[in-house]
Amino acid sequence: MIAARPRRRRRLAPYWEVMKVAIAREATYRFGVFASLAAFFMRVYLLRMVWLALYAHNAAPRDLPLHTILSYATVALLMGLVLDIDQTRALHDRLHDGSIATDFMKPISVPLFFFADGTGEVLFRIILLVPALALALTLVRIDVPSPAVAAAFALSFTLGYFVGFFLNFILNCTAFWTLEISAVQLIVTWLTDLLGGEIVPLALFPAGLARVAYALPFAAMFSTPLCIYTGLLQPAQYAGAMGLQALWLVLLAAISAVLWRAGARRVVVQGG
Amino acid sequence: MAGAYAQFWRINLLTTLEYRENFLLWSAFTLVYHGAALTALWVVFENFPSMNGWTFKDMAFLYGLWMLAHALHNALFSNVEEVPERIREGEFDRVLIRPLDALFQIVTTPGQIFPDEALMALGYFGFAIWYSGVRVDATFVALVPLVVVGGVSIELALNLLIATVAFWVVRVDELRWIFLQLESEFTRYPVSIYSRGVRLLVTFVLPFAFVNYLPAAYFLHHGDTGVGLPPQAGLLAPLVGLAFAALAYAFWRFGLNRYQGVGH
Repeated sequence: MIAARPRRRRRLAPYWEVMKVAIAREATYRFGVFASLAAFFMRVYLLRMVWLALYAHNAAPRDLPLHTILSYATVALLMGLVLDIDQTRALHDRLHDGSIATDFMKPISVPLFFFADGTGEVLFRIILLVPALALALTLVRIDVPSPAVAAAFALSFTLGYFVGFFLNFILNCTAFWTLEISAVQLIVTWLTDLLGGEIVPLALFPAGLARVAYALPFAAMFSTPLCIYTGLLQPAQYAGAMGLQALWLVLLAAISAVLWRAGARRVVVQGG
Repeated sequence: MAGAYAQFWRINLLTTLEYRENFLLWSAFTLVYHGAALTALWVVFENFPSMNGWTFKDMAFLYGLWMLAHALHNALFSNVEEVPERIREGEFDRVLIRPLDALFQIVTTPGQIFPDEALMALGYFGFAIWYSGVRVDATFVALVPLVVVGGVSIELALNLLIATVAFWVVRVDELRWIFLQLESEFTRYPVSIYSRGVRLLVTFVLPFAFVNYLPAAYFLHHGDTGVGLPPQAGLLAPLVGLAFAALAYAFWRFGLNRYQGVGH
């Protein structure tokens, strides 16, 4: 057992390097990250005014007082900074320009390589998120959950992140067959925004539309962690909600694995 | 130039026909984009029937007026968005050595351009007119096209301003993205919900209020606009749009005259 450990570390070393390179690459494009932070603050500020106007002229819905919706909307935007990243874009890019062929010759696991690359980008974002979160907490005065709830949120967010990761991987995998996937990716992005409860909490959806939303994986990305954070889900409901997230995670991971095997076997490189 | 322009649309049509699946996918995206935005509005207004006195019916009309201007702009001038990329790749220099206006050449670069969003917008606007119960009379029919021209000009002006920044700054994608987000926020809700500073900004600096809010306030008889102007000011949209576009064009010429290439 003890003897095996260094070997495993050596086996993971290349992915660790890929991740570090990805972090460095993102750091050179920091203007883009700062721009998305600037856009984030503007959106928090503007969205706050939208909800204020709605609550000023109407009776507040049950279970959803103003401070809850403001926390919900702000945390949703914060989560979007991480979840909206196209983590495995490199897969699509490499299928497009043909460099995937040389990736297959390298003595590494190609999916793990893409995972490490995406994780580096996400980690860089998370580092920058901390100041944004602190500012959001003080500027908009969003609710701060108890440590236990915060821990449940962190776990649920992580599950949601991997649901998003595999969804994104599946979409990028379809490039094995179709090569042009931007439109489909954008369609999924907009559906996620709406049916994941990123813009409007699913609790406000009319029954029919809510049923559709809960039957799709997008709610596992945004709605579940957000409902835990804002207390819309009670601790007794955590296990069921996170179990459903885990179920989506396993299902999407299995589809990813099948698609990857099938795709890798029939690599068609455009113009390569 | 008219001949060149007709040729441009002929090539666009042929390209679209050649890449049918791709065209259908992008049309599906456009449909989902507007469908999701309207569904979100509908869900919100199911729970909160009024926003500063605006009902969902008013919001549907407000959205339709913006969608029409936005879609028409995309059909006619979406190529302006490609300027930064062309500058970065060094292709822009080729435009400068031809004996035709640079902006005209940019606008008429053929691609897979098809006015599908504009057709959707027209259809949706027809629905929104009926659904909102806005009074349709001779003035309405005469004024709406003028207002839409104003909205298209305002969008074009903003687009051109961002493109011109690319003469000095290599990457403007993020800048464009921020402005796109701002545009969609400011044109979706009545401007009166925002704080005073924001209201003045979108009326007198980045005149988004003239794209749809002020004209819609006029057509739907909302008295207090909250921006210090009466709703009738919405009818100035074409003038505001043309003035803003002229300003943007002057800035474009200024940038063009100082442009020295990116060193390819």
